[in-house]
Amino acid sequence: MSRYVFQRLLGMLVVMFVVVTIVFIIVRIAPGDPAAVMLGPDATAQDVSALRTRLGLDSPIIVQYGIFFGQLLQGDLGESIFLNRPVLTALADRAEPTFFLTLFSILIAALIAIPVGIMSAYWRGSLFDQGATTLAMLAASIPSFWLGLILIQILAVRWGVFPVSGYGGPGASLMTRLSHLVLPAISLGVVSSALILRFTRASMLDVLNDDYVRTARSKGMSEFRVIMKHAFKNALIPVLTVIGITAALLVSGAVVTETVFGLPGVGSLVVSAVLRRDYPVIQGALLIIAALYVLINFLIDMLYLLVDPRVRY
Amino acid sequence: MKLLAGALLSGVMMLGAGSALAQQPGGIVNVATIGEPPTLDPMVSTADLVGIVTQHFFETLFTFDKDWNVTPLLAESLPEITDGGKTYTIKLRTGVTFHDGSAMTADDVVASLKRWMDLASRGKQTAGNIDKVEVVAPSTVRIVLKAPYAPLLALLSFNNSAAVIMPASKMSNPLTEPVGTGPYKLKERKPDQYIQLVRHESYKPRAGSADGYGGARKPLLDEIRFVPVPDANTRIEGAISGQFDYVDSLPVESYDRIKNLQTTKPVLLKPFGWPVFVMNTKQGVMANTDTRMAVRLALSMEDMLAAAFGSKEFYSLDAAMYPKGYVWHSEAGTEGKYNVADADKAKALLKKANYDGKPVRILTSRQYEFHYKMAQVAAEYLKQAEFAVDMQVVDWATLTQRRADAALWDIYITHSPFLPEPALIGQLSESSPGWWSTPARKAAVDAFNTESDPKKRPALWAEVQKVMYAETPSIKIGDFNALSAQSPKLDGVMPAPWPYFWNVSIKK
Repeated sequence: MSRYVFQRLLGMLVVMFVVVTIVFIIVRIAPGDPAAVMLGPDATAQDVSALRTRLGLDSPIIVQYGIFFGQLLQGDLGESIFLNRPVLTALADRAEPTFFLTLFSILIAALIAIPVGIMSAYWRGSLFDQGATTLAMLAASIPSFWLGLILIQILAVRWGVFPVSGYGGPGASLMTRLSHLVLPAISLGVVSSALILRFTRASMLDVLNDDYVRTARSKGMSEFRVIMKHAFKNALIPVLTVIGITAALLVSGAVVTETVFGLPGVGSLVVSAVLRRDYPVIQGALLIIAALYVLINFLIDMLYLLVDPRVRY
Repeated sequence: MKLLAGALLSGVMMLGAGSALAQQPGGIVNVATIGEPPTLDPMVSTADLVGIVTQHFFETLFTFDKDWNVTPLLAESLPEITDGGKTYTIKLRTGVTFHDGSAMTADDVVASLKRWMDLASRGKQTAGNIDKVEVVAPSTVRIVLKAPYAPLLALLSFNNSAAVIMPASKMSNPLTEPVGTGPYKLKERKPDQYIQLVRHESYKPRAGSADGYGGARKPLLDEIRFVPVPDANTRIEGAISGQFDYVDSLPVESYDRIKNLQTTKPVLLKPFGWPVFVMNTKQGVMANTDTRMAVRLALSMEDMLAAAFGSKEFYSLDAAMYPKGYVWHSEAGTEGKYNVADADKAKALLKKANYDGKPVRILTSRQYEFHYKMAQVAAEYLKQAEFAVDMQVVDWATLTQRRADAALWDIYITHSPFLPEPALIGQLSESSPGWWSTPARKAAVDAFNTESDPKKRPALWAEVQKVMYAETPSIKIGDFNALSAQSPKLDGVMPAPWPYFWNVSIKK
């Protein structure tokens, strides 16, 4: 067990090294220049060149990589070119909306998908099952930003129940800030629910015909207990995996939704960093997102140990 | 300079001034902007967004009045110009304090002007003409030029790449603590969330009434919050829902949605600016004057503007570099060279230029959708004239990088507001991408820049325009209007290319 954990941790380090290197290269290969963006449309070539020198962007790429990697080993992700602050601080500033948005989206997705998926499997082939499967297909096909715009139109503009965009002004309370997350969380949650619903349904169908379910029924257990205690518990492993992957996708993939709703989260930070070519922020953010991905996958594997007694390393 | 859309606008201004008498101080306004400014140092950036935000806390020695004439701001009065236009003696207002409580002195002004000459792109261009900047007395500074240079005052007045005044002790680069003299001061900046400005309590407005960017600037509002909303659709919905009191830069298609509402109303700035095709005169296909003229004659400006802006309510055909109403307006040199769309004439010129069919690389971006739409129409007209066209659609950051390399492009598309001083137009500079540098340009531009008599300068600008039409370093496509939205509760908002919120209040 401890050997397995050690191997996994070592593998994570290798993955992170590869990610760091690829991200660094891709960012530098992409055309565009942070100095030109910072100085504006009428800046002269000389001004741009002078700023590139000041930012260290005129050094050979291998030198820049060496400096970046050296800083990274000391836990320093560098300084944002545009925000005049360390990348870690900039990311920490953006963590709250992204964390809560991911949490709420997953909660909404799970609350919709798991009960509906279970019922769909239980009443397989019924009108309910067909309706749920069709709606899941529809939800999977809708771009989250489109759903977001529709929700803005109805719930924010027409009914005025929620704010259109942003994350609250200066001194906004936590409740005010969270109220800004309701619409984006619904749009992301609904879209994400489709995948979880289909996995739950498929997984439940697998276990519902198993012997232990029949045994449980023959013992006279109520259908509810049979489903929840025996069938669902065993169907949970693939569902947990897909929830974990969806959560990781939401951290990195809420980019468009955060932009549409003007949320100052990690996703919108990455978008603006890419548009401005803020290299340290792009590198730092992608590194953290990749680390989260790897970590979530690792944690899911560890969770298997708790949920399924057959799993042993 | 005069904006004669004027009779109307002046009327509006007078109404604004009248209503200012009854304005009540207090309140907070939320202003939705197109994004987060790349910096809060207005010297180092020419981006409009930087100017819009920072003009509330940084001020220049001079600014522009409602007719685009230079008017004093931190200076007591317009400068005394002596020595044949080479010496500018500027008296400063006394009792002006920075946001940190210190008093503005002549030393701060000289240090700021030197920083501007070192760091700002417009300042560096100007520095070549400046012999020295010096303190004459505790509240008087002097600028001595090497030769007369008429655009100096306009350059000292402009709000981007701006010659703002900051304390000599707080002008680090990069700027870490923006401290100015403006009617508002920076309280907090949360990047991509908000920029919070609060009233500068010690601010002393100039005497008299408001006059464009000049005159009395009264910080009536308690707070101004600039909120970046990069998505245009979200800005529209934010205006309609009433979440934002002022929403900048809306797509013109949204006009019908925001008119006749109780929560918001359209603010139309007519005209706002001009889209332009800049030619690479240094190398490649467009280095030949006849080829550039062939492009000009091949294009239908009407179709390009219609594709870009839809309704005629939002654009107008106009060959002149400045629209009617500006003192710079002139039709000189434009006859038979605008909105021609004559493929045969273009082909004849291409034959004369020995055009070998090499593709014309048009560099454009979808960051400004109207650029892209115009490029699409232009490409079709150019193909009719037997140009080969290579459309290169990139993001704005890539465009700004590529246009600096003459080997990478032939035409790039951009736009500009109508700048108060023609000398500020980028394409006139030999170092600006396009690199227009000919004896005719030098003669016309130098004559314009060294003439300090305001009465003689419009005729000299007409000569510059003539040369621009004859040599085609760039092609002006037309005039377009800008659409914003404001809450009906706001009082005192003036349509302006760089909207400002001093003298604005909330109706009780």
